[in-house]
Amino acid sequence: MPKTKISEKDDELFSCSRCGACLAVCPVYKQTLDEGVAPRGKLSLIEAAANNKIAISEKLSQKIYTCTLCNYCTKECPSGVKVDELFKAVRGDLVESKKYPEVLDYLKSKIEKAYNITFDTNQGRLDWITQQPDAKFEDYLKETADVLYFVGCVSSFSPRSFPIPRSITQIFKRAGVDFTLLGEDEWCCGFPLYSSGMKDEIVRLADHNIRKVKDKKVKLLVASCPSCYHTWKHDYPKVANEKIDFEIMHISQYLHALIKEGKIKLNAINARVTYHDPCDLGRNSGIFEEPREVIKSIEGIDFVELPSAKLEANCCGGGGNLEYLDPGLSSKIAEAKASEIIGTGAEIVVSSCQQCERTISTALKKKKGEIDYRLKVMDISELILQSML
Amino acid sequence: MKEEHVKYLEEIAGQDKVLTDIEDKICFGFDSTRLQYLPDVIVKVKDSRQISSILKFANEYKIPVTPRGAATGLSGGCLAVNGGILLVLLEMNRIYYVNPIDLLVEVQAGAITVDVDKAASKYKLFYPPDPGSMKTSTIGGNIAENAGGLRGLKYGVTKDYVNSMEVVLPTGEIIDIGTRTVKSVTGYNLVDLMVGSEGTLGVVSKATLALLPIPPARASLLALFNNLTEAAKTVRDIVAEGVITATLELVDNVTINAIEDYLKIGLNRNVGAMLLIEVDGQQGSVDIEAEVIKKVCAQNNALSCKLAASEKERDVLWSARRAALSSLARIKPSTILEDATVPRSRIVELVEAVNNIAKKYDIMIGTFGHAGDGNLHPTILTDLRDKEEEKKVEKVIEEIFIETVKLDGTLSGEHGIGLTKARFLKLEISDEVYKLMKKIKHALDPNNILNPGKLFVD
Repeated sequence: MPKTKISEKDDELFSCSRCGACLAVCPVYKQTLDEGVAPRGKLSLIEAAANNKIAISEKLSQKIYTCTLCNYCTKECPSGVKVDELFKAVRGDLVESKKYPEVLDYLKSKIEKAYNITFDTNQGRLDWITQQPDAKFEDYLKETADVLYFVGCVSSFSPRSFPIPRSITQIFKRAGVDFTLLGEDEWCCGFPLYSSGMKDEIVRLADHNIRKVKDKKVKLLVASCPSCYHTWKHDYPKVANEKIDFEIMHISQYLHALIKEGKIKLNAINARVTYHDPCDLGRNSGIFEEPREVIKSIEGIDFVELPSAKLEANCCGGGGNLEYLDPGLSSKIAEAKASEIIGTGAEIVVSSCQQCERTISTALKKKKGEIDYRLKVMDISELILQSML
Repeated sequence: MKEEHVKYLEEIAGQDKVLTDIEDKICFGFDSTRLQYLPDVIVKVKDSRQISSILKFANEYKIPVTPRGAATGLSGGCLAVNGGILLVLLEMNRIYYVNPIDLLVEVQAGAITVDVDKAASKYKLFYPPDPGSMKTSTIGGNIAENAGGLRGLKYGVTKDYVNSMEVVLPTGEIIDIGTRTVKSVTGYNLVDLMVGSEGTLGVVSKATLALLPIPPARASLLALFNNLTEAAKTVRDIVAEGVITATLELVDNVTINAIEDYLKIGLNRNVGAMLLIEVDGQQGSVDIEAEVIKKVCAQNNALSCKLAASEKERDVLWSARRAALSSLARIKPSTILEDATVPRSRIVELVEAVNNIAKKYDIMIGTFGHAGDGNLHPTILTDLRDKEEEKKVEKVIEEIFIETVKLDGTLSGEHGIGLTKARFLKLEISDEVYKLMKKIKHALDPNNILNPGKLFVD
C-alpha cells in the first residue's frame, strides 16, 4: 500500500498463522461463510496489498469494512495478533487512498456541519428533555456540577432511545446527584469517524468536548453510550491536545457506585433477566462485572447468563457502522443474537448500550413467532429506574 | 480458465456462488500451512448433484478440482496447487438428524465438527474426535484428513466413527458406501479407503457418524516430573497397568514456560515435563483408575500428582493444555506444528531425538501432545521470512521424520501428507505400496483431476 501505516505492522501481519480460530467467533463470517470477510481472510488481503501483490480495490475496501469491530477475533487469536489495531490502521490507509464507503463522507459532512450524526441542528440535543414532565432546562444545564452526563448522539436524537437519558436523569435526581449536561455544546465524540479510519477529525471534536466539560468544573464524566465511553476513556487521552482532569465512567459503573453508597433504593422485580455485553463496553473496555452486579442487586431477579457472555459475548450486529454498509448482514447477526437470548428463557434482556438495545429489539420483533411471552429489552438505566419507582 | 467455463459453472451453482476476483482467490487460496495457491475459480456448492456436474465437466476439459472445507488443515490438502476449480463445501452444513437409538448422526460434509457434537449433546451423546480446530473445521475435512484429537488413545480417530457416506467419485458418479449397522462385511471396506484419502479419491458430500453416550463421571490429574523421560515412562506404565485414559497429554519444559508466560496460572517453570491425564466412565471405575495413576506416577518419581478437586480446577488444567499451541505461537512469528507419531513404547526415544535435533540446529522446539497414543506435536518456533532459517527448518523437519520412521513411527498421526509431506512419503512406504496407492488413484481418477499434486510427488 502507498504511504503504508500497515506495512510498519509487518510482524503483526505475519504472526497470523491462518489457523482459522477466528472463523468460529466472527459474526460476519458465521453469517456469510465468506472467507473474504473473516479476520484471517482480511489479514491475507492486507498482507497481499502491503506487499504490492494486489491493488487497493473497491472490493478489498468493501471486505475490510464488512466488520462490526466486535473484536472477538482478537480475543480468540492463539497467536495474539491484535486484529483490531490492524483493521483500524488499514481503514486509515483506505481513507488516505480514498477507497472507503461513500456513506462515510455523508456521516463526516453531518458531523462537520452539525456536530452530530443526524442532520438536525445541535439544538436538537435537548429534545428529549422538553417532553419530560418536570422539564426545566436550568435543572439540566447547570453552570457547574459534580457530574457531567455525556448523552451521546443516538440517545439525544433518536426518539426511541430517549428513555435512556430520561431514566438516567430521573435516577440522578432521585439519588440527589448534582449533575449537568453540555446541551448543544456537546459534540459527537468522533467515534463513528475515528473507528472508520478518518483519524484527523476526532482531534477537533475531542478538544472541544474536553474544554466544554472542563468549563463545568466537574469531577466526573458519565457516558451511557459504550462507544462514547470507550472514546473518552481510551482514545481521547491519545489524540487530544487538551488534558482530561476529571474521572470518566460508564453509567453501569456509576450506578454500581451509587447503589453501593446506598444512594439508590431498589424495589424487587420478579423476573428472569439476562444481560448482553456490548462489545465496546465488555470486550473492548473490560467492564463486565459492574452491570451484572447492578442487575443482581435488585431483589427478585433470577439472573441467567447467555451461553456466550463476557469476553465471549456475541456481537448484536450493530457495531462498526455495519448497519449503514450492509443492513441485511447486520440484521442476520442480530437475529442470531436474538435466538441466543430466547434460548435463555429470560423475560427481560438488559443491555447497557442504546445501539445494542435497538438492534436486539428489532431482531426480537422478527422472531415474535418463536416466543409465547413478552420478552422485554431494557437499558440498564431503565431497569434501575423501574426498580426505584 | 475460459470465460465459457466460468459461465457453465455459474449455470450449475448459481452466479453468486462462483467467484473469480483476485481478492476472493487470495482469501480462499490458503490454509493453516500459510502456503498460498490461487485457484482459477471458486465454486460454493450446495449438494452432491452440483459436485457431480462439476466433476464431469472437469473431466471433459481436464481441469483440476480441489475440495475445500474450512481450510484449517496443516498439510496443504485443500490448496489448489494446480489452479483450476476450488470446490467449497462450507454451505453444505446441514445436520439432518441424531438417532439416539442407533447412536448415529447424519450430516452434510460442511457441518462444523463442534456443531455435530453440540447436536449430539442434546441426547446426552458425544462425537469423540476432537481435533484442535474443531470449532472451525468441517466433518468433510475431518474425514478427508482422518483427523484425530486429544482422545485418540481411548476413543480413536475420525475413521472409527464414520459409518457410511455419500461420495462423489472423481468421474462424477454419486455413490453411497458403508452401512448404518455396527457390523458389516459386505464387500470391500470402501469407507475406510475414503477416510484419510485427502480428497484425492472422491468428494465426501454426506456422512453418517457414530456417537457415544457421554460418560457420567470423569477425573483429571496433573503430574509433574523432573524430566521428560520419567514422564514418558509413566505414560507407558499407566497403559501397562491396564488403564486406558481418555486423554494422556505430555507437555515439555519449553511449552510449560510458554504457557506460564501467557496464562500466568502458577505452573512450576522448573519442572522437566508435565502430564495431563483424564479418565472417564462410571464413577467407581474412575476413582479406581485415578488411584492407579497416582501410584504409577509415584513409582516414576513424579514430583507431584494432583487430582483436580473441582470442575473449576479441572478447567484450569485443561485451559493450560489448550493454550499450549497458542502460547508457543506467541514466541516467534512462525509456528510449524508437526505430528510425528510412534508406538507408545518408543515415545521416550522420539522425545530425546527431537531434543537432540533442536540442539544440533540451535532451533527452538516445544513438544507437547497426545503421548497416550504416541502422537506428539514437536512445534518448531522460527521466522520463515528469514531464508536461512527456512532452510534450517526444512532440515529439522526431515530429520524428525527420519528418526520417527526409524522408531517404527509414521510421518503423520492426524494432519495428513498432502502437499507438505509428500516428498517424505517414500521414507515410510515401500515402492510397491506407493505403486499400489497410485494404481488405486488411477482406477478412480483416470484423468487425475481430483486434488492433483497431493500425496504423490510424481
